[in-house]
Amino acid sequence: MLILESVAFQYPRTATTYSFDMQASAGAVTAITGKSGCGKSTLLDLIAGFQQPGSGDIYWHDQPLNKLTPAARPVTTVFQRNNLFEHRNAIDNVIVGINPKIPSYGIDYDAAAEALALVGLAGFEKKRASQLSGGQQQRVAIARALVRATADKAPLIQFDEPFSALDQATREQMLSLVKRLATTHQCAILMVTHSIADCDAIADARYEIRDGRLFSL
Amino acid sequence: MQLKGNRQSLLPGFVVSCALFAMATGLLLLLFSQQGNNSINLGSRYHRILAWTALQATLSTMISVVIGIVLGWALSHRQRFPGRAVFIALLSSALVLPTLVVALGLVTVLGRSGWINDALQLAGFDPFKPFIYGLPGILIAHAYFNASFAARTVLNRLQSIPSSQLKLASSLGLTPLQRFRLLEFPALTTALPALCTTIFLLCFTSFAIVLVLGGSPKYNTLEVSIYEAIKLDFDLGRAIGLSLLQLGVCALLVLATNRSASVLSIGAPARLTTGLHYSKTEIANQYLVIVTFGIFFLMPLVAIVSDGVTGDLFKVLLQPVFVKALITSIAIATASTIIVLFASILICSSITTLAVRQGAEASLLSRLMLRFINFSATLYLVIPSLVLGLGFFLLARQTGGSYLLWSVVSLLAANTLLVLPFALTSLSPAMIKAANRYDRLALSLSITGLARWRLIESTLVRPELAYVASLAFCMSLGDLGVIALFGSQDFVTLPWLLYQKMGSYRTAEAAGVALVTLALTLFVFLTLPRIGTAPRET
Repeated sequence: MLILESVAFQYPRTATTYSFDMQASAGAVTAITGKSGCGKSTLLDLIAGFQQPGSGDIYWHDQPLNKLTPAARPVTTVFQRNNLFEHRNAIDNVIVGINPKIPSYGIDYDAAAEALALVGLAGFEKKRASQLSGGQQQRVAIARALVRATADKAPLIQFDEPFSALDQATREQMLSLVKRLATTHQCAILMVTHSIADCDAIADARYEIRDGRLFSL
Repeated sequence: MQLKGNRQSLLPGFVVSCALFAMATGLLLLLFSQQGNNSINLGSRYHRILAWTALQATLSTMISVVIGIVLGWALSHRQRFPGRAVFIALLSSALVLPTLVVALGLVTVLGRSGWINDALQLAGFDPFKPFIYGLPGILIAHAYFNASFAARTVLNRLQSIPSSQLKLASSLGLTPLQRFRLLEFPALTTALPALCTTIFLLCFTSFAIVLVLGGSPKYNTLEVSIYEAIKLDFDLGRAIGLSLLQLGVCALLVLATNRSASVLSIGAPARLTTGLHYSKTEIANQYLVIVTFGIFFLMPLVAIVSDGVTGDLFKVLLQPVFVKALITSIAIATASTIIVLFASILICSSITTLAVRQGAEASLLSRLMLRFINFSATLYLVIPSLVLGLGFFLLARQTGGSYLLWSVVSLLAANTLLVLPFALTSLSPAMIKAANRYDRLALSLSITGLARWRLIESTLVRPELAYVASLAFCMSLGDLGVIALFGSQDFVTLPWLLYQKMGSYRTAEAAGVALVTLALTLFVFLTLPRIGTAPRET
């Protein structure tokens, strides 16, 4: 379980302060909503270690995360865009999640190919990321999150409005894929979204950020 | 066909391009025609000169680009440290710093009785053997200018990497080397060919640095050999032959590499948070790179200021020849700035019309016109200033007109061609952006011509215009190219006066002239762009 206890944060030279308390269970999808600029991405940055809280603690299965570097945290973040190294192929972009020394063959390759197949991209292994559509690129990013979760590197997956640029059909496919990630692989999933429909479709718990604070809905 | 509707904004720039091309072609034909009147005897030496010119340019390019990448990388990861903005502004100013002034500064620091040797002797060590003259000096000076230019370009590219990708790299635990291979180097690859070509051509046609720091005829490049053929030997045949050789090589390089990509841009997107985690060693390495290059970059400038203040500054200021040089330089630089601004605005309007408003349905004619206009703006890379100067020199001799008048015309033409490639690289993207944003609205409201310019472009591209103006003024002020051919007692500019004083070993006076030139250049380059970005009163 992910726990945030009185996590406070303030950007330099700004008046807004954030104070976050929340819990997110493994095997469940926790949705975070709120207006633009309310601090949704800041919350994800704090959990991933891209920002350091001024005070408060973050725990994953009772292990404190605050002092860990982003790479040492059990977290994978899937952003709205720019998730892939565009000059590398799909399989390299997945393998890099568990082994940065790409190209890699053997077990890493097999695991990555399997993950790509799971997200419906079997046969796309050697395709350059820049040649994939927006939906396919997001699927590759999800496949990478999947191999990281399976390798027990990052069982906590954060989605930062990842499907906002996708068409309705692709969006629905992605949502069901995310739900499967949580239930089948017992990942804890945090999903930042503007879409109430997305929340209704897959969220097990919901929080809203208002005035720099999290409210359970 | 949309071309017809856009003729108003297309034609003036096209005419300017045609005029530039006609001038270049005319001078070229003149050089060819003079071949017959002057016996060209290059002998076997030209092979050696050509090989040497190419070798020093290749080495200079390699050193500059490597240093530029390392420095740009370090700066992109150190987003906050005291003086960062000033340091980056100074790096940008390397493009306009007068070459002679910097050469003098380098000699002051690294010469036989330079600062380093003085410090070594004070500390009880043996002084090192001076290496500032010859190949090492040429490479150091070229690296000084071009590594700064390369670092600025690299920094812009690296700062345009999306922050989400940097977070991704951090989250995946990539080492600095893996991050560079996967993320940073790919971001540079589109800029590197154009950057390398530009630096190679600048070094290949380098004149003032080789003239001052070469130290021996065996280090003469084509450009310096042309100068010596005219000024020292008055062997016009050899000068013409060498000019044609240089022209051929430069034209081949420009055409072969299709130098069309933008390598210089102002105002990098600010990256507020990188999201990267750095080890202490990595941070230390980044600061080491910045501090080392900072010292290398600032020392010659500090030397100029120090020597200028402690030297014969006030004596120099009172000399009539200095006042004359100052007035001439400012007048030439101001006139060049006005010409460059007009020419670049008109050419950019044409480029915008062709590139944006023609869209994907561009006809073969408009595509060809676009290529022609772009080529005409990069003529300087094909026809260096000394070759251009030689053309005007021959024209002045043939027409028998006023030598002074031809000198001014020649200098203005050379300055315009020198600045245009950089002016267009800055101005074009801004004008294209403005067109993309407001074209449909302006057309729907029937706002065209000057009214459109006042309402849209004059506001949106004002920072770029101010930057181009500062670039044109400073580059024109400090260039020792054509003036080396035309300079005389009657026609003297600051760089020419500085060269004369250095040549006659009046170093204290030279330091005074160098200080004034440097101060004027930095003042204009650092303040003029600020005027362009100042909020407008309403």
